[in-house]
This record gives sequence, structure tokens and C-alpha cells, in this order.
Amino acid sequence: MDGRTLVGAFRDGGGKNGMSELVRLTDVTKVYQGGITGALNGVSVTVEKGEFTAIMGPSGSGKSTMLNLIAGVDRPSSGTVSVGGTLLGKLGEAGLARFRRDHIGFVFQFFYLLPNLTVLENVLIPAQLKGNVAPARARELLDQLGIAEVANRYPARLSGGQQQRVAIARALINKPTLLLADEPTGALDTRSGDQVMELLGGVHREGQTILLVTHDAKLATRHAARVISVVDGKIVDDARLDSLERAPSEVIRVRGEEASR
Amino acid sequence: MGLLAEESLHGYEVKNRFEAMLGGTWEVNIGQIYTTLQRLERDGLVRPVGARGDRGKQSYELSPEGHKALKEWLAQPDSGPQQLHEDIYVKLLLATRLANGDLQGMLARQKRAYLQRLRDLNRLEEQARRDGRIDLARLVRGALLHTEADLKWMDELSSERFGTEGAKTE
Amino acid sequence: MRAIFVKTLADLRRRRLQAAVIFVTTLLAVATGTMALTLIAQTRDPYQLAFEAQKGAHLQVGFDNRIDPSTLVGTPALIGASAHAGPYRATDMQFQSGGHKYAVTTIARDNPGGDVGQLRITGGHWPSSGTEVALTRSFAELNHISIGDRLKVVSVPQEPVLTVVAEVVDIDELRADVGGVQHAWVLGTAIAPLTAKDASFYLMDYRFASDPTSAQLQARMNTLRASVPPDSVTSSINYLFVRTVFHVSTEILTGVLVAFSVFALAATAAIVANLVTGIVISAYREIGIMKAVGFTPLQVIGVFVFQILVPAAAACILGIPAGTILSQPLLASNSQALGLAYQPTFSPALDVLALAGALLIVAIAAVIPAFRAGRLKPAVVIANAAAPRGNSGRWLRRLASRARLPRPIVLGLGEAAARPVRATLTLLAIVLGVATVVVALGEARSFNKIYTYEGHIGKVDVVVAKSPALADSDATQLINSQPETTRLVAETTATITVPGIADPVTTLGFRGDSAALGYLLSPGRWFNGPGEVVANRGFVQDAHLNLGDTFTGTVHGQALKLRIVGEVFDFTAGPGGHVLMLDWSTITAAVPNLTPSSYMVTLKPGSNVDAYVRRLAAAQPDLLDVQANSTGNTAFLTVIAGVLFGIAGVVALIAVAGVFNTLLLSTRERVRDTATLKTLGMSPRQVIGMVATSAGFLALLGGLVAVPGGVALYRVLFDQLSSLGGNITPLAFYDVFAPWELIAIPLAGIVVAVLAAIVPGRWAARTNVVEVLHAE
Repeated sequence: MDGRTLVGAFRDGGGKNGMSELVRLTDVTKVYQGGITGALNGVSVTVEKGEFTAIMGPSGSGKSTMLNLIAGVDRPSSGTVSVGGTLLGKLGEAGLARFRRDHIGFVFQFFYLLPNLTVLENVLIPAQLKGNVAPARARELLDQLGIAEVANRYPARLSGGQQQRVAIARALINKPTLLLADEPTGALDTRSGDQVMELLGGVHREGQTILLVTHDAKLATRHAARVISVVDGKIVDDARLDSLERAPSEVIRVRGEEASR
Repeated sequence: MGLLAEESLHGYEVKNRFEAMLGGTWEVNIGQIYTTLQRLERDGLVRPVGARGDRGKQSYELSPEGHKALKEWLAQPDSGPQQLHEDIYVKLLLATRLANGDLQGMLARQKRAYLQRLRDLNRLEEQARRDGRIDLARLVRGALLHTEADLKWMDELSSERFGTEGAKTE
Repeated sequence: MRAIFVKTLADLRRRRLQAAVIFVTTLLAVATGTMALTLIAQTRDPYQLAFEAQKGAHLQVGFDNRIDPSTLVGTPALIGASAHAGPYRATDMQFQSGGHKYAVTTIARDNPGGDVGQLRITGGHWPSSGTEVALTRSFAELNHISIGDRLKVVSVPQEPVLTVVAEVVDIDELRADVGGVQHAWVLGTAIAPLTAKDASFYLMDYRFASDPTSAQLQARMNTLRASVPPDSVTSSINYLFVRTVFHVSTEILTGVLVAFSVFALAATAAIVANLVTGIVISAYREIGIMKAVGFTPLQVIGVFVFQILVPAAAACILGIPAGTILSQPLLASNSQALGLAYQPTFSPALDVLALAGALLIVAIAAVIPAFRAGRLKPAVVIANAAAPRGNSGRWLRRLASRARLPRPIVLGLGEAAARPVRATLTLLAIVLGVATVVVALGEARSFNKIYTYEGHIGKVDVVVAKSPALADSDATQLINSQPETTRLVAETTATITVPGIADPVTTLGFRGDSAALGYLLSPGRWFNGPGEVVANRGFVQDAHLNLGDTFTGTVHGQALKLRIVGEVFDFTAGPGGHVLMLDWSTITAAVPNLTPSSYMVTLKPGSNVDAYVRRLAAAQPDLLDVQANSTGNTAFLTVIAGVLFGIAGVVALIAVAGVFNTLLLSTRERVRDTATLKTLGMSPRQVIGMVATSAGFLALLGGLVAVPGGVALYRVLFDQLSSLGGNITPLAFYDVFAPWELIAIPLAGIVVAVLAAIVPGRWAARTNVVEVLHAE
């Protein structure tokens, strides 16, 4: 165990000046019985504050499992998970719940909005679970995400893209240390998916640490400067991509004989 | 020819317009433009317009036959053979022949290059869209999808069992 | 068809808990229903059977001893009786047994058979010598007197001793535990030594070719009365009265049982309907798949209906015999009182009826939602397999939000109202459960209150019965000489003939501070002096008199001018019976040598009642029967209370099962929402709180409806019973609920509901987020 994991890293400013560790998985193994796929086999990885990291892999590779372990909705079979210096293994169920509501924002593929609550109520829930009333922040978020006008509607009457934006607002209401997104565009059409990715990019530019799980390489490389590839429960690649501006001709060349006519 | 359908242009203008259209992804030689124009004039598909201007610039426009030929060309689907020029494929063939070729390492490195390319293309697409260059964005999108396919290819290759299958690839 | 069975069985295996809930609720409801049906079907018959078998008398008339018995022989023909028995010579006799004194009417009769009023010997043999006596079985059982016991007769100075040789059933008598002086029989030659001076009279039994109506009986009594010297008829009792009294206890039971069974069945139907709706909704996706693989809508309905019917039928198979068996002890106690052999009654037709009824209700409850399931479009269903949508309960959440309640509570409230139909059905179950408890509690308490009232419990501490052989003055002096005695009220019974009332009216005369006995009057007041009487409502109605009216009664040939000053609430006269109560001075005007039959003594507070009773009994061991005042035989009450509470318990249980089931369904349906909430940081405690809130809220709402409803229903039921004697129930009898109880009962309901929520709540709290959210 590395001494740093015991240091609380939630203090503000830690992330601004570059690289401070936020998430650390140490030799994490997760074994599932029954039909659930996505086992992990000795995964160790750290994620720094302020990063936009993509975890990429085919379905059943264990990428969602990593996310679940980091969110504390699942526990590893062996190994440790620490987020912001907190060892999740040491927290009980209630402690994990508190941890989630304070530090984690979660966006799912299928949105998982509560169908009998309005958009605004949905967004407010994490705050209210904390005992906060934050309608002003909720409205501000909805406004930022371009869905202010549907605040009083029920999720069933929204498009998929709108629903996912509501889910993002809900994930952000408590100003989470870490935003986790599990295939956030998987249930959306291309256009809505692009918009959602744009929003995530925007949130990241404002300093939000984001961990994105996807099987789609195009999405993974869209905003993430780091792409972790997971295959069969193991990290097979951890690529840090550079963001240099490149001229089109450095990237694409079109060639053709017929066309030259 | 497509450009000449809009208005009459001279050779240099064709080059500039063409390059702008492709967003700098295809640089053409001016000589090539002139030879092509001359070939087209010979076939009666374009014809010169007006007098040769200063520094000997000659504008061309489409002849009625030219219009017809352009229309036919546009209508015809691109049904030629798939054009691949993947160095990686050649490397792959060679690596499988060599007893201890670092195949996985090669694939991983290639994958990473594709990832980087994807990211670059993503930014390019973003830029094109920001500039309102839908035509260019479409092209980039195509490249993105091609690269994604390449990436998938790498994934499949790295999950194959090369030891046994490699020998049969001949 | 095969596909339906295969799918149904698979589903049942998978949904064991749900099947168990259906099984238990149906079992409870069916058992109660069968019990009620059995009782309803059986209770009217045994009396009639026995009456026919023993050639029961339609009319029994007592004649004064001044009449010449030979003149009575002509009376049957006079009133059109087809058969008669008697005249029997009879006398009122007191005897002592096991330290207690008992009063019976002893009748001279040489054999138990005859054309009318045969006695059925259930034990021993008919008296064959002058020292042998036959008693009624109900009297013997009640007082623990058995064949071979020796009774010391204390009403005559010689104090002869009789041996009990027979227990018989007399179909023309009230059961001993219901009240009234029982008969005893001796040989004709044995009656004279047992008769005190002037204490004999004659009894005639009349039987008619067909069962006469009340009016016919009245007319025949009038004819009879006119044919004999005035005031010769001293008493009469008819079969209608006996039969009614016999049925009262079972009628109360069956009435209550029927009402409660309806409750139980309604609650069960509500729960079953709820269950099926829940199953259908939670199986939306499955329905789509079923349809996609080729189930027709009818087959889909079939699968759901079968899923419900299988456990329901299993419950019936167990519940119907159970109900039948449980009803047997009640039937047996009635049969036994009549001396009928206890015959277990298994009526296949009845059981089939119960089975059909139960299955029909369950099937209807199942078909309606299943029908909806059958009509769902597969594509919609597969794509849309989700929890309820829409905004029911929105106002509730708004309200709760505004009240700044914690979020889990607000969500729980919203959940409770999210499905209006389910909420209504659950509410119905809760309302029925709570209301039943309220009714049971109310009835049981009111019955007790009536008994307490009739027995002057709390007003009178010791009751002293006096033998005619002891002078009134001696007894009075003895009682008053005891230092603890603070109040002494002497009581006597007489009969007064009143115009317009066929039978002589039982009249209680009180000497002393009778107002302190606590009789309730509505309307009017207690009598204040000579000439004033209070009467029960039956009397006031039948005599067509109003409060303040004056009428003339005749006692021992003397006319008395009487004025009604109050209507007294009195249960002892029985249904349609008449009672008058008046002051001693009123009646002594006509009967100067009147002597009290008993004394009601009130002691100083804190006195040792037992010591007092022992001392007084020792002072006059033979001529006084001294007893501490108690409600006496309350076996009947215990049975009723037992049945009431039993059923209330069952219905409450069904209601709890309903709440449990609803919670189970909704937590299952909302498992994805719960998983989402957990991911958003809802702690396990908050999850349980959310589930418990929705249960508690429904219980609260149910309690708010059930308590006033239950109280109202209790009043209606109690009125039915208490008005059997033609009374208007005094308000005091309704006053059986303490205000805190009316709050505590629904509160207890909430507690139970919240406890019932713990299992599904914990289940929800333990939801495996990963499994639920990633099983897409």
C-alpha cells in the first residue's frame, strides 16, 4: 500500500495544477459466479485528477466492472480500490452510499431516470439524499445542458438525448469528484450521441475528472487523452494520446485516378 | 470537370478550387491539371473560352458532351476493386514468417498509432464542423470509420492464434 | 394447452413467494367462509328436528292452584289443540347441592313420553320412586350436578333429599345458560311432600296440528284466558320464544361470522387482484416474448390465471375441510344443548359451493388484469418493459417536498400513490383488517358491558337468595347487622296482567335504593314512588303506551294504576319479551304478604367480600344462598369473543399479507429504480425508509378510513343484537372505545405495516446494483 492513498486528495486545487492521483486500483480481481460476465484479473491502474480517461474494450471484457468497483457499487474479490485516498473496502454499505453521493456522478447507457419523477426532481435527488435542497443549481445545470424547458416534464416524454442530458445533470448536481459514464451514447442515435459527448467534453474542459467506458474507439478518442484497453479482464494497453494540432494533410490523404478526371 | 460545370476556369483556378474543396488532403500538381485539361479538350469534353489571358492563361468550360460524360460518371457507382495499401499487412506477413517476430508488440504499436489517428481525425472533424465545412467533415468521417475498422482488425489479429494459423496464411 | 401448463408450472416454481402469499390469504379466507357457510346452513335445522322428534309443545300454560284440574281437560278442544299433555301438578322448589342453592320448577310426571313434550333421556333412567328426580341436561351440566348426586330440598321444612337419576332434554325449555328457571321431574306421588303451602300450580302442554303464528298463539291464549276464572293463567311460554332464544346465540355468531367472512373474502379478492396485476406488470417483457413465440392472447391469459388458480385451489383443498372442522365445535355445542347426538356434518354440496365461490372470486380477480396482459402488443411490451409511468401521486410528492420531508420519505409517498389501483386495493385490505379489529373489539366489549350491566357488577357486591321459609325481617336484620353493608336492595318477582299483552308480564319489585342499581333509561327516569313503573321497550310498544301514560295492571286479582315514567334497557326478557320494574310500595298495595326472593347488597369500599359471604352463609346455612356478585356464566361471551377475535386476527393477517404483497410487488417492479437510487448514493437505511414510508402511508390512510368505518359498523351490528329485546341501545353501551385506542389501533396498523415493509425493504436495500443495471 502506497502512502499516498491515505492522503485525502479531495481538497480543491489538487487537480488544477496537473497530476494528482484520484483513483488507484491495486491488483484488483473480480470473479463472478453465474451468468455475469466482466471478470477482472489482476488489474492495477491509477487515474489522475482532471483527466478524461476512456476505458475501452469489447463487451464482457470487464470495463464496466472497473467502473462499478470505482463507484463502490461492487466490491473486488481481491485487491484494493481507493478513490481520493479513501479505501472503498473499508466502507460499509451506508458508507459506500455516502461516498457515492458525495464523490461520484454516474451516467448510464440506459439513463435510468426515475420514471415517476419530473426532470427537475430527478436531477435533485442526489442533493436531497444528502439533505441539500439545490433547485437553483439544478436549474442552472439544466440550462447549461440545454434542457431547461423540459424541467417539469416526465422522462417518458423526452427523447433519448434529452434523457441522457438529464442524467448528466443529475450526475453533476453534487459536484462529484469523479464523473463515471458507462456507454453514455450506447442507446442514442449518432446525432444525440455526438451532443452528449460534446457536453461531456465541455464538462471536462471545466475541470471535471471523467472516466468513460465504451466499446467505441471513435468515442474513446474523441475527448479522452488516455485510452485504457481492456480485454478479458486485463489491461492490454494504456495509451496516452497527444493533442497536437495537425494539418489535414498530415492526417488524411486522398488519392484516386478516376477522380482526377 | 465537375468544377468546370459551375463556371469556366483556367488551370490554376482549377487546382486551387480542387485543393480547397478537399481541405488540404490532396495536393495536385499544376502540370497534371494542364495535361488533364488538354486530354479532355482533345476528347471534345471541354472547350476553351475566350482569349488567352495575361501570362497565357486559358479558361475552359464544359462542352455539351462534357456535361453528358460528367453526368454518366456521377451516376456510376464506385464498383472497382477495394483499394488497400496497408503496410501493416505486408509487415504482418513477414512477421509471421519470421520465427520470433514480435507480432503482439507490432500490433499494439500499430493500434496505438490508429488510436492517435482516431483522435486526430476526431479533432479534424470537430474543426471542419466548426468551420462549417460539411464536405470536409464527411471525408474525415469516412476516414474515422476506416481507421476504426483498422483498429478492429488489429484487435482481431491480436486475439488470433498466430502460431498455428500463421503458416496457412500463404 | 400443454404450453400453458409448462409455462405456468415454471412460473410457479420461480415465484414461490408470490404463490405462498396467494396460498395463505386464500386459505384463511376460504376457511372462514366455509365455517360461516356451514353454520348458516346448519343452525336452523337442529332445533326444528328436535322439536318434531320430541313432539314439542307449541304452548305451555301455567294455571293457578285454585282452579279445578278437571276443568282443564276441556281446554285443548277449546283452543283447537290437536294434542295435549297434563295437567301436571308443579311447584317451585329450592334445593341445595355442593354448597349452592338452586331454584327449579318441579313437575309431577310419571313417564317421559306422551303425545306432547316428550323428554329425551340422555343419561340415567326415569324416576321410579318418590326420592328420585330428573333434571334437564343443560341445567345439570351448567351447575356440575351429575346422576347419583343427592339434593337437599330446602323450600319445605322437612327438607327431604332427592337423588338425581336422569338427565333429560326438554325441547320446550330455554337452555339453562341462557336463563330461566329450569324444570325438574318427580313421580306424581312424590310432588306433595315437596310442595310448600299454597305453592303448587298446574301446567298444560298444547300442541297444534301445524305450527301456529305468533298472532294465532295470542288469540288462543285469549280464548283460554276467557274460559277460566280471572287470573287463573299465571304463566305461558310458546315455542316461538324458545326457538328464538335458542337461535339468538348462534344467530349472533353466524351474523358476525358472515359479516366477517365477507370481509375476509373481499380482502382476499383485493389482494389476489393486486397480485395478478403486479405479476402481469412485472412480466410485461415476458408477455411480449410469450406472444412473440406464438402464445395467443387467450393462452397468455391462461398462463396468468392458472398461476393464481393453482395455489388458490391448493388453499381451498386445505381450507374448506379446515373450515368445516372448525365449525363443528360450535355446532356440537348447540346440538348438545338440545340433547341431540353430535353428528359431524360434512355436506359435500356446501363444500363444493365454497370451493366454486372461492375459485370464482379468485379467477375473476385474476382474469381482469390477465386480460389486459393478453391484449398487450408484443413489440410495445418488449421495448417498454418498465415500471409505471405517469404522474399519479405527483401532488402527494409535491406536498411532501414542500413540507421538507427527507427525500426517501417523499419518494416512498410517491411510490405508495404511483399505482392508484394497487394502492386502492391495498388500502381496501388495510381498511378491512383494521375495521374488523375495531368491530371485534367493540362487540366483545359491548357484550361484556351488557352482562356487567345486567349483573349490576360494580353496583352490587353480594347477592343473597332467601328461602321462603325464612322471614323477610330476619334476613333483612341479619344483613343490615353486618358492619360492611352500606346498601340493601330487596327484589321480588311477580307477574302483572296488562291489557293488550297476552302473557302476564314479569315484574321486578325493588325495595330500597333501587335507583342505585344502575339501570339505564332511554328515555325517561327511574321510578320515584308508588304507582310509577319503568318498562322495557318491548312492553311499551306492545302495550301501545307512551312515556307518562297510565294503565291498569292486575296482580292477584287486584287492580293497580300504573304510570310509565321510563323505558329501561333490559336484555333479560329476551327477544320480544316484556319486563316491568316498580317500587315495592306499588305492589304491596295489592299483595300485602309479598316477600323478597333475593337481596342485593353493596358493601363499603375495600371490604373483604369473601369473608362477608362466608360469615353470612354461616349465619343461615340452610335458608340463605349467599354469593359474591359476578357475571355468572360467560361461556357464551367467551365463545363469541373468541370467534370475533379469531376472525379479526385472520382478516388482519390477510391485510398484512396484502401490504406485504404490495410492497413485494412494487419493490420488485422498481428494482431498477432502487438500483439507480443506490448508485446515486441512497444508503441502505434510506432505501428501507423509502419502502417503509410507502407502507406506513397506506396504513395511515387505511386507518383514517377504517376507524370511523369500523366504529360505525360495530354500532350497526351491536344495534342488531341489542335490539333483539326491542330495546333502544343506551348510548352508554357504545362508549367502549377509549379515544387513545382509536388512535392506537391505526397506529398499531402503521407499525405492523412498517414491520411488514422490512422484508421487502431489506430486499430492496440489498439490491445488487451491478446485476440489475447491467442485466440489459
